[in-house]
Amino acid sequence: MQPPTHPALPASPGNGTPPGASPAPGSLLRWQWREVQAPCLVAAWILVASLAKIVFQLSRKVTSVVPESCLLILLGLGLGGIVRAIAKRAEYQLEPSMFFLFLLPPIVLDSGYFMPSRLFFDNIGTILTYAVIGTLWNSFTTGAALWGVKQVGLMEEGVEAGLMDFLLFGSLISAVDPVAVLAVFEEVHINETLFIIVFGESLLNDAVTVVLYKVFNSFVEMGPGHVQATDYLKGVAAFFVVSLGGTTVGLLFAFLLALITRFTKRVRIIEPLFVFLLAYMAYLAAEMVSLSSILAVTFCGICCKKYVEANISQKSRTTVKYTMKTLASSSETIIFMFLGISAVDISKWAWDTALVLCTLIFILFFRAVGVVLQTWVLNRFRLIPLDRIDQVVMSYGGLRGAVAFALVILLDGTKVRAKDYFVATTIVVVFFTVLVQGLTIKPLVKWLKVKRRDHHKPTLNEELHEHAFDHILAAVEDVVGHHGYRYWRDKWDQFDKKYLSQLLMRKSAYRIKDEIWDVYYKLNIRDAISFVDQGGHVLSADRLMLPSLPSRTSMTESSVTNLLRESGSGACLDLQVIDTVRSRRDKEDAVMHHVLCGSLYKPRRRYKASYSRHFIPPDTQERQDKEIFQQNMKRRLETFKSTKHNVCSAKSKARLKKDGRKKKNSAGNAELHNGKPRQNINWQQTASILVTVDSDEEESDSSETEKEDDEGIIFVARATDEILRGKKVSGSLDVCPSPCIIPPSPTSAEKELPWKGDQDDLAVYISSETTKIVPVDMQSAWNQSISSLESIASPPGAEPGLHAKILACPALEEGPKSERQMTPEQHICFQFPSHPSRSSRPLSDGSLERTEQPELQPLMAPEDHGRVSTSTGPSSSRWLIQFNRPTRL
Amino acid sequence: MSVIIFSLFTVKKVCNYKCQAFPSLSRLFYRYRDLAPQLVPLDYTNKPDVKLPYELIGSMPELKDNPFRQRIAEVFSADGEGNMTLDDFLDMFSVLSEMAPRDLKAYYAFKIYDFNDDDYICKLDLEKTVNKLTRNELTPEEVCLVCDKVIDEADQDNDGKLSLEDFQHMIVRAPDFLR
Repeated sequence: MQPPTHPALPASPGNGTPPGASPAPGSLLRWQWREVQAPCLVAAWILVASLAKIVFQLSRKVTSVVPESCLLILLGLGLGGIVRAIAKRAEYQLEPSMFFLFLLPPIVLDSGYFMPSRLFFDNIGTILTYAVIGTLWNSFTTGAALWGVKQVGLMEEGVEAGLMDFLLFGSLISAVDPVAVLAVFEEVHINETLFIIVFGESLLNDAVTVVLYKVFNSFVEMGPGHVQATDYLKGVAAFFVVSLGGTTVGLLFAFLLALITRFTKRVRIIEPLFVFLLAYMAYLAAEMVSLSSILAVTFCGICCKKYVEANISQKSRTTVKYTMKTLASSSETIIFMFLGISAVDISKWAWDTALVLCTLIFILFFRAVGVVLQTWVLNRFRLIPLDRIDQVVMSYGGLRGAVAFALVILLDGTKVRAKDYFVATTIVVVFFTVLVQGLTIKPLVKWLKVKRRDHHKPTLNEELHEHAFDHILAAVEDVVGHHGYRYWRDKWDQFDKKYLSQLLMRKSAYRIKDEIWDVYYKLNIRDAISFVDQGGHVLSADRLMLPSLPSRTSMTESSVTNLLRESGSGACLDLQVIDTVRSRRDKEDAVMHHVLCGSLYKPRRRYKASYSRHFIPPDTQERQDKEIFQQNMKRRLETFKSTKHNVCSAKSKARLKKDGRKKKNSAGNAELHNGKPRQNINWQQTASILVTVDSDEEESDSSETEKEDDEGIIFVARATDEILRGKKVSGSLDVCPSPCIIPPSPTSAEKELPWKGDQDDLAVYISSETTKIVPVDMQSAWNQSISSLESIASPPGAEPGLHAKILACPALEEGPKSERQMTPEQHICFQFPSHPSRSSRPLSDGSLERTEQPELQPLMAPEDHGRVSTSTGPSSSRWLIQFNRPTRL
Repeated sequence: MSVIIFSLFTVKKVCNYKCQAFPSLSRLFYRYRDLAPQLVPLDYTNKPDVKLPYELIGSMPELKDNPFRQRIAEVFSADGEGNMTLDDFLDMFSVLSEMAPRDLKAYYAFKIYDFNDDDYICKLDLEKTVNKLTRNELTPEEVCLVCDKVIDEADQDNDGKLSLEDFQHMIVRAPDFLR
């Protein structure tokens, strides 16, 4: 801690020969302290504060009891003492200009930007009441009571202050300080509602404080005798101008910011800069025209977030988040440390015990009274009333901080003659609230058993029902004609959806923006993380214990599924980071990240396939996902290869593919009977089914790229009943008529088959399992991997005569039925492009068809069974891999 | 202008729900009447059997975009068809009121969700809800997945559908629900 203070000394003018400023050490090196003095000092102070934080965190015992802000103030006191002892005079005050221009904005921006906006606006009425009426009440009662004490004669003669002075003092001392509240309450972890009320109050009361301070200051400067009635009116008008003006400035800049980030696609790197610059501009602009700058930044942060987050890239989001946190945290640190240092400067103190004691008592007492009174009124309008314990915490949590200190320093000593007394009192009040109340609020909260913030994870239910309730309540309000809060929120939502979002969000961001799906997506990532956390064993639904890594010989669908989940979570881990604000959670995320890194696939980049079909801008996120898919596909291929070589190396390729298809059906068949997942099915026993051929043919048409590998692929459809169920659910399939006529020609067959129409929609989501992980825009990557697989499996060739073969099939009456049976699967299941590469295939298939007949029979019954189970049984298709056919362009 | 005397039954009902809305009752009545001045008489002394047809409510401009308008009218109307009597109308307001207990709100919410009136929220109900909420932006597969997840989360007794108990339990778990 010493080094910064020593070089600091030469900066003090008129201090004799400073010990640090050694004379120029020769001509080679020149001592240029003066040039670097200011920035060096700033950096040194920040360094000291940050080092101090490390030291604090070394001992968990201390930090769990004492809030960091207290420790920092104490550290500041110590440092100030050292400086004072060495320099013989106090240095380094907390300068009001520095505080308001540089230290406060980051904290306010951070709190505004990460404010849970829904919670904030749900409680806006309560917050505004406390912020406006509460602050007014506190100011006037405190000021008036102090004046009363002075009139009674309890104070010393030295306190030369009239009513106006005391009201001025009351206005600056009564405002709850956002910095202090944030610093203390962050470690207390009370429930969100209580926190947002206290914290929102501390942010929004800025306007009141600023106005009262300015009005009373001008009154004091004018002298109480010259104040006229119009001045009071002006004061009232000023309140509205300052608060609404500040809010407007904030909203304007938020709009501008959102609009700008819409066009930063090419300059991703400076996206975070815009966020900070425009928010700071909002602050400065509001300050410039003496509006409430805190309100401006708060509302700028709250309002721009939705659009900015949607527009900027994932990396920029993370950057914004961490930069904001870093700035706010260092500002906070410096503020508290300098508060401690400033307190050492006794030269500006003028102690009056009565004033100090009375102020302390009054601010505590009147805040409590104000809270109780307002809560009593507010509870009549709240569904969840604020109970007695909440009120205690709210009154006790009214911490004063650096804002009050900076304001009192700003007072003009010539006009406000009792300034020194006020300064001393303010310092004592700030210290008392931060140290004593900050220290005791944690035990108090524990003792009163205040409802803590429960770290329950966001559930889909909440999201869903919240949306539904919004609609329902808004509708009821509409019918009843009661235009309440929900009515306006609904109106705003519609306005936002219709105009604002379209104006301020990128097209791509707007398109994929669906909150329910978003939450679902996040939840799945969470599940995946917890899956990895459990050491690779998942106990989902009642199913099976799965190995974390698939063994090569027994590759089951489920393990593939899990691989998909795992790797998906690995790639998209950042999504959750956005939600985590606390440092502890960040640490957990980091740990999780390492866990995932250790146990997941090794990324192997293969760009080749990326450009084969669709052109997509190779975003990192997408590329990662692509890798995952290719990785999984590769695994599957390898697994299949090994199986193939073990079991049926003698089989021909085309035969394999046929069997693959067949096997799926028969597997589903068997499964429906015994209801158990079958993992290794000997697919040699079964023969192929003809009806599916025409669709296969299409696929091979669609595959453009050629590959020479002769690996066949077999996907074991482990749960066919679920496939059926899935089909059942995807309602459009049910209503479309099944093809009853065998089409005369392949082409018209393709046109008339019902799944042709749906195909394009459905192809967006290739597999139900993967869509859990993969966002919508991943479809193209998936398609590519599918198409590459396809091309592996099927060298393109002409396959005429397949339909003729169907027509020639002896079991014509089976045709339509089995086709109907197959229809849903063709949407959901991966199709194996099976086509006869050899001319002998049709013949063998035709011959097999006869043996096939008995097997087609049971296919019908299970379907019904599946249909029945759809409506009743708990549907759990989560472990099911369903493959769609690739998109046809 | 004739004196408005509400049926005793109505007043009692409203009091039961702690609506404490006596001053606003007359306002509500006028609102009700404004919806269909030609249908609703000013004199309610002899409890005329007046119903607002659903077409009137459903065609309100404010409700045009609301996906739940028909369902709400159905649930709150006594005849289940969306035709609302004054009683139904007052019920609706009392549920909306901040003073209405949570359980009551939860009950009506449950009823609104329960599209097929089988006292359970089954998957089909949820699918309807999700489709309404997302304005059919999700594909059937996605809807299906979401619904599975929702049931999976909230289903306490693993019967694949949500009973009223499940629903209430879930609402209690969500702290800031139903404010």
